[in-house]
Parts: sequence; structure tokens; C-alpha cells
Amino acid sequence: MIDEGLLSGSLRDAADAFEFPDGVTERILAASRMVAPESRSAGSTKAFHRSRRGRIVLVTSVAALLVTGIALSAETSSVSHGSAPANSAGLPAQYRGAGGVAPGLPVSGQKSSVSKPAAPIPSGAVGQSAKVEANGMVELTIGDGTLESALAKLTDLAAADGGFVSSDQAQFGGGSSASGTIVLRVPQINFQTLVTQVQRVGDATSVTTTAQDVTGQYVDLQARIRALEASRQQYLTIMTRATSIGDVLAVQSQLDTLQSEIEQLQGQLNVLSNETTYGTLTVSVTEAGKKQPPAPVSPPTSGLSKAWHDGVGGFVSGFEWFIRIGGPLLFVLLFLAALAILGRLAWRTTRRRMI
Amino acid sequence: VEGAAVDELEDWLRRDYHTSYRTACLLLGNRSDAEEAVQEAFLRAWRFRASLATGSDVRPWLYRVVVNTCNSKLRQEIPHRDRQSADFELVGRPSVEDIPTQIASSQDLLRALHDLPAHLRVVVVLRYYADLSEREIATAIGRRQGTVKSRLHEARRQLAVHPALQAHVSDDSKDDSEALR
Repeated sequence: MIDEGLLSGSLRDAADAFEFPDGVTERILAASRMVAPESRSAGSTKAFHRSRRGRIVLVTSVAALLVTGIALSAETSSVSHGSAPANSAGLPAQYRGAGGVAPGLPVSGQKSSVSKPAAPIPSGAVGQSAKVEANGMVELTIGDGTLESALAKLTDLAAADGGFVSSDQAQFGGGSSASGTIVLRVPQINFQTLVTQVQRVGDATSVTTTAQDVTGQYVDLQARIRALEASRQQYLTIMTRATSIGDVLAVQSQLDTLQSEIEQLQGQLNVLSNETTYGTLTVSVTEAGKKQPPAPVSPPTSGLSKAWHDGVGGFVSGFEWFIRIGGPLLFVLLFLAALAILGRLAWRTTRRRMI
Repeated sequence: VEGAAVDELEDWLRRDYHTSYRTACLLLGNRSDAEEAVQEAFLRAWRFRASLATGSDVRPWLYRVVVNTCNSKLRQEIPHRDRQSADFELVGRPSVEDIPTQIASSQDLLRALHDLPAHLRVVVVLRYYADLSEREIATAIGRRQGTVKSRLHEARRQLAVHPALQAHVSDDSKDDSEALR
């Protein structure tokens, strides 16, 4: 058996003969800060000797990724152009309306005091159930003192239709009519029902509803997310085949960028999904008018009652006259008192000088 | 936060790079592969530093990454390319006259080491060069301490009977080895 001390000493001796490479720690630190692919060029490539097999795998994978990416990109752009919500040119004729607004629903700005029939929500555009953003505004006039009950009724209506109150606000008194605003959100399918029901709560003076077909935008976002996820999958495959740290860092950087884009688009998709899942109806409620103050009671014009009223009136008038005259009189008295005090002081001073 | 992380990497490099590099040299047999392996190992360890449990000792874990990287090269790269000449002709190697009590030639030791199976070579280098305890080696290679002990024993036995080291092994050791065989 070989002696441990001898083995240890000899190994150290042999190892000490291996000279350290120059600047390697700096290269490692630089590589740690490296953001591929820029830092993979020029001098830094020397730091990462790739195996021939790794290069082949990397080049092949990147080529496959590019081909896949181009194909998916073409698919995405065709969907995007075909269903852009702004002009809805690519939508089937039955779903094409002015300014991209779905048919059957009034355009923003229309006013009516008459309840309109519920418009059917279009479906089936570009192989995807239609995504429509529905918004509405109803102005109601209600009886005096019924604001609270009206707001409660509106809240109940939203709840009965499977929705909720997004916000509400009320103003009472203050010299003007009590009024309030409540924003209701209900599932898209119950939106028109709610609009109809809300108008029965009071006297509807204005009803406005708008519907924007965002199916194209929705499908576009979905396609972009799918394309990015496919790219991410490709990069993950490359990552498993990367043989040098340079390749790993480069691929990791690309993965981070892709992940960020995917999350951003997913967030937009979630917002759009929420907006198209629930319709938003803003209801403005105003009470009919301000309460009138009670009419003053007119005094009697003859008899004992009149004498009594005249007496009371005379007493009050006399008292008012006394108070009215009391102010100037008090001022005159105070002025005279001040003069008297000053005159007395002057008299005393003069007399002392004479003495 | 990034600055603090880079400082951490600098600490690792200052403390452990030299030993890690020479450990890799002994495991792989040439400086080029060792340089690349250690570079990759440090960057990999730094990237995945979050996986190290808080309060754990960095050193065995760092050696584990170095050993894994070296093993990966031994398995995947080095066998598939033209055999590089090992750096056995070492610069500044001490001569027999300088250190007569040491094994006469580091070249012989390196050859014997290179002929050991990789799993035995690793434990020998970590124990007798990197000076890791058996417990730390167990952590570094992901095996039990008993396995480390038996591998060390087997490695020393094989080194003792290696032709290149015959001249440097005591007669008693030879007898032991013969008996074992």
C-alpha cells in the first residue's frame, strides 16, 4: 500500500508544477456579467472552447428554431391582419359594422328614452367565439327620497344577473337634488337583460350602449403567445444540448427575454378576457327635484286674532327699535365719558402747576 | 444585488480557484481542459448558488460542481476527440536530486494517476491534494462516506502495484499488495 504522506506530498509537488493561466479569473468575472449574444463575440470566444459536437448541435438547433419562428410568425401576422379590430375588414360580412362596432347594438352617442331590444352577441368569428367588449350608460330619474332604495335595487339586479357592483357614489341634499352613480358589471350574456331591467327602476332619460368586437385582437394575442411558447420550447431543447457555459448563458438570455414577452402578452390577454367576460353598465340616478320649503302662513286680516297679531308685532317692533337705537346711544355715552375723564385729568394738571 | 453576487464570485475565485484548477489538472491530465472545466464549473456554481442551502459549506459543494464538470468532460468530450498529450512534461518539475524523499518523478505519479479509473482518481486527488476530509469528499461526489473510504483504499492499492511507481513504494507495501492480489 502506498504511503499516504508520500502520496500527498508528491501530489502537491506534481500539482504545483501546473502553472496558472493568465487572466482567467477576470474572464470568469466578465463571463458572469455577460449578456449573450453580444459578449460571445470577439475576445470572449476564446474563453469558451466549444466542442465540435456542441457547435453542430447548436447551429442545427438555431437553424430549426429560425425556420419554426418564421413559419409561426407568418401565421401570426396573417391572423393579425385578418382580424384587426380597428377596421374589422377581415371579419365575415355579418359581423362587420361601422368603426368595428358589432351590429345590432347602438353606436356610442345615441340617446333614447325607449328601451331597445337586446342585441344578440355575435359568435363564431375566425374560429373563435366572439369576444365583445360591452359598455353602457343609463340615466335614470327617480322619485324624491328614493335614491337609497334605487341604488339597493340596482345592486340586487346586478347580483341576480351574476354580476357585481364595481363602484358606487351618492350625494344627498346640499341644495340640489340627491343623485348617485353606480357601475355594474355582469356577465356578457346578461348584459342586455340588465340594461332592460335597470330602465324599469326609474324613468330612463338616456340609454347608451356600445359593443366593440375585439375577437381579432384576442386571437392575435393568443397566436403570438403560442409562437413565443414554441420558441421557448426550442430554446429549452437547445439548453439541454449546450455543452459549454457560453452556450448556456446565451440560451438563458434568450429564454429570459422570451419569458418576459410571454408574461406581458399573457397579461394583456387576461385584461382583454376580463373585459369581454363582463359587460360594464354605468347607471346615473337623480331624484326628481328639490324639496320645497313650507309656504309661510299668511296672517289673519281682521278681528281679535288680528289685534293679537298686531300687538305681538308692535311689541316685537318696539323691542327691535330699542335694540336698534341702543347701539348709537351706547356709543354717545361712552364718548362723553371719555371726554369727561380727559377734562378732569387736564383740570388736575393745570391746578398743580398753579399751586 | 448583482454587485453583491459578483463579489461573492470573486470571493470564491480568490479562495478556491487555484486549488480547483490544479485539482482539475490532476483529474483531466491537461491544462487546457482543466482551465475550461474550472471556468465552466465556477460560472455554473455561481448561477445556481441559490440551490445551496443557507449556512452550508460552499467548498465541498463547489468541488462537487468542479468534479461533475470534469467527469462530464471525461465521459463526453475527451474520449471522442484525438487524445491530447497530457501535460506530463511539467515546467519547473522538481528533480529527484532536489527532493529525494519524494516520489522520484511527478511524471510517474501523474501517469499512474491517469491510469486509475476516474472514480478512484477523483477521491485520491480530493483527499491527498485538495485536502478534503472523507465527509467533504462524500458531499463532493455525492456518495456515502463509507464509499469514499473504500475507494481511497482501492486507489492506494492500485497505485501501489502500478509499474511506474514500483520503484517508490516500500517493500512492505509491495508485500501487502502482493498478499492482497
